[in-house]
Amino acid sequence: MSIIISTIQKCCVKSLEEKLLALSLTSTTQIREKHKLNPPPRLRNPTWFTKQNRVVKEEFLTHENKEFLREIVQDKVVESESKLPVVSPKEWNDKLQRTGVIARKVGIYPMWLKDGTRIQTTLLQVLDNHVIRYYTPEEYDPPRKQVGGIKNKKGCLLLGAESADPSEFTKEYCGLFRESGVIPKRVLSRFFVSPDAVLPLGTQVNVLHFQVGNVVDVRGKTVDRGFQGVMKRHGFKGMPASHGVTKTHRKGGCIGGGGEKGRVWPGTKMPGHMGNRHRIQKGLKILRINTKYNIMWVSGQAIAGETNSIVTIYDTKLPLRKPTNPVPFPTYIGEIDSTIPEDIYDEQVHMFNDPTISYDEK
Amino acid sequence: MFSSLYPFYMVFRVKMFLNIRNGLSVATNSSKVIRQLCTKAAAFENVTNNKQSNESSKNNVVDYRHIYPEFLPDPKPEFRNVLREKLERSDMIARRTQIQIPEFYVGSILAVTSSDKHTPGKNNRFVGICIDREGCGLRATFILRNVIEQQGVEVKFELYDPTLHKIEVLRLEKRLDDKLFYLRDALPQYSTFDPNMEPELLPGGSTVPVNNLKVKLKPKPWLERWERQNLQGVEDLGLPEKFYIRAKELEKPWEKYDLMKDYMKTIPEEEQTEIFSEVQSHLHKLEVTRKQMKRKRVFVKPSKLA
Repeated sequence: MSIIISTIQKCCVKSLEEKLLALSLTSTTQIREKHKLNPPPRLRNPTWFTKQNRVVKEEFLTHENKEFLREIVQDKVVESESKLPVVSPKEWNDKLQRTGVIARKVGIYPMWLKDGTRIQTTLLQVLDNHVIRYYTPEEYDPPRKQVGGIKNKKGCLLLGAESADPSEFTKEYCGLFRESGVIPKRVLSRFFVSPDAVLPLGTQVNVLHFQVGNVVDVRGKTVDRGFQGVMKRHGFKGMPASHGVTKTHRKGGCIGGGGEKGRVWPGTKMPGHMGNRHRIQKGLKILRINTKYNIMWVSGQAIAGETNSIVTIYDTKLPLRKPTNPVPFPTYIGEIDSTIPEDIYDEQVHMFNDPTISYDEK
Repeated sequence: MFSSLYPFYMVFRVKMFLNIRNGLSVATNSSKVIRQLCTKAAAFENVTNNKQSNESSKNNVVDYRHIYPEFLPDPKPEFRNVLREKLERSDMIARRTQIQIPEFYVGSILAVTSSDKHTPGKNNRFVGICIDREGCGLRATFILRNVIEQQGVEVKFELYDPTLHKIEVLRLEKRLDDKLFYLRDALPQYSTFDPNMEPELLPGGSTVPVNNLKVKLKPKPWLERWERQNLQGVEDLGLPEKFYIRAKELEKPWEKYDLMKDYMKTIPEEEQTEIFSEVQSHLHKLEVTRKQMKRKRVFVKPSKLA
């Protein structure tokens, strides 16, 4: 009995000693605050931001060899597309967030509604979107941390579009696609999804992911206009053309007050670089879908970017315009075949085949 | 490698220019180099192409680009996309199954029947002279002008607007100018047309007549400086000499020899043939069905009341 007690006492003493030692160490030894001298960068690029394009040198290949390489690439494309992952449909509710898609802005042309009003529509071609990678909510480390953390953390789904010849990319970039087995893509984009809305790697997302009549947000990069003056950039009036005005016809004029506030206030509108920024156009209605060419017509003509530029589309975040009827969840499952009509119109839209609009006399 | 290919490339480019300008006046005093290249190009063409098969289709395209100008897309490269243009064309044809859009030009007199919410009968018929035609694809428009109760009225119609019921050509003709905006400053008699005008029929197979009418403008003030626009369909303006001197100064006579500018403003002929060969069969089918319908209508037995 006594032996046991003595051993317990010994243990306690030992642990106490260790603790004291540790305390004394922290209090006495000096630690240089190295992390403060050279802190890690606040903004880190996501893991998929690698150098994309290889420096292409002229390889003196014969015509046959080039053909052979092209065949190999095509075989790879066929091979990657033949392995279709199984996606099981799940029940949708309005709290869930689905993935978006990568698309190309193809152009703008007018359409008419059934009451005869003319509206401008933008054509967005949904490209060959494939799921490249998924980061679980715990895994995903955002470049910008929010103060206080995020509730209901979402997972991050990386999608790629526009299959290309892998030889134009770097090895590192091609490595991103190894896991999913998809042929390397030119465009990558990430979408935050609820953990329930995750798609298996290699799944293709097509235009039927969206439904006619629903509302989407479109994010694009505005036209790069370079360094612009104040009249073009902020719509200032400029100065008069005559009446003794010299050399200040397109200048902004005064930029700050005097006295106590005698400085230029932050945020003053001044000349600078205009455009080439990501901008989101929210609340655009899908008016028509073409399943043959994967095109959707969306209301409005002010989507950022020039024709043939890349945009991303996702379900709207506007709280009052979210879909009420169930949408394909996690995405549209199945092939687009002959059972699906080529053109799906919204009920408001006048089809071009329809007879001429006439108003009834009341 | 590239340097040896370059002359061939040039020949090809010049050939393309010439093809585009088949119907237009070709610059006579262009530089010697171009002329030499032309001969080369012609020789090249002789060797490679079998001319006879191509000629018939070429003529067709030349006709089509005047009859259906809106099928040619905007030549600005920053707005072009092959897929969009294709879809737009298919939509245009779909609309054409519902309405007959006839051949007409600036200067023709048209009657457009359209449904209008605000008119008592919910239908509106407007007769007027076409003073402008512009836009391509589904956004093609034309402007009709008439003088109604001593008031000049202009209506801009969209060619593919589904509220249009009928577009009739009352008089098919061309004027001396591409745009007739000067009618706004002309005496009202030149843009007054009877709303109950009967359609004038041209004998089949005849070319579109050109009306050589010279319009008399009202005295200044005008909406535009017409003396600077080299108008053909206008009588002598009767201005002081200084206006003509200034107009002469601002003239750009070299622009009609600017092949590059012309090239940028037009769709190359190869593309035109591609577009119209795609559209041709549809348009032809529509025409045939329309003719059949017409014949059917002719043979309807007249009722007693008639």
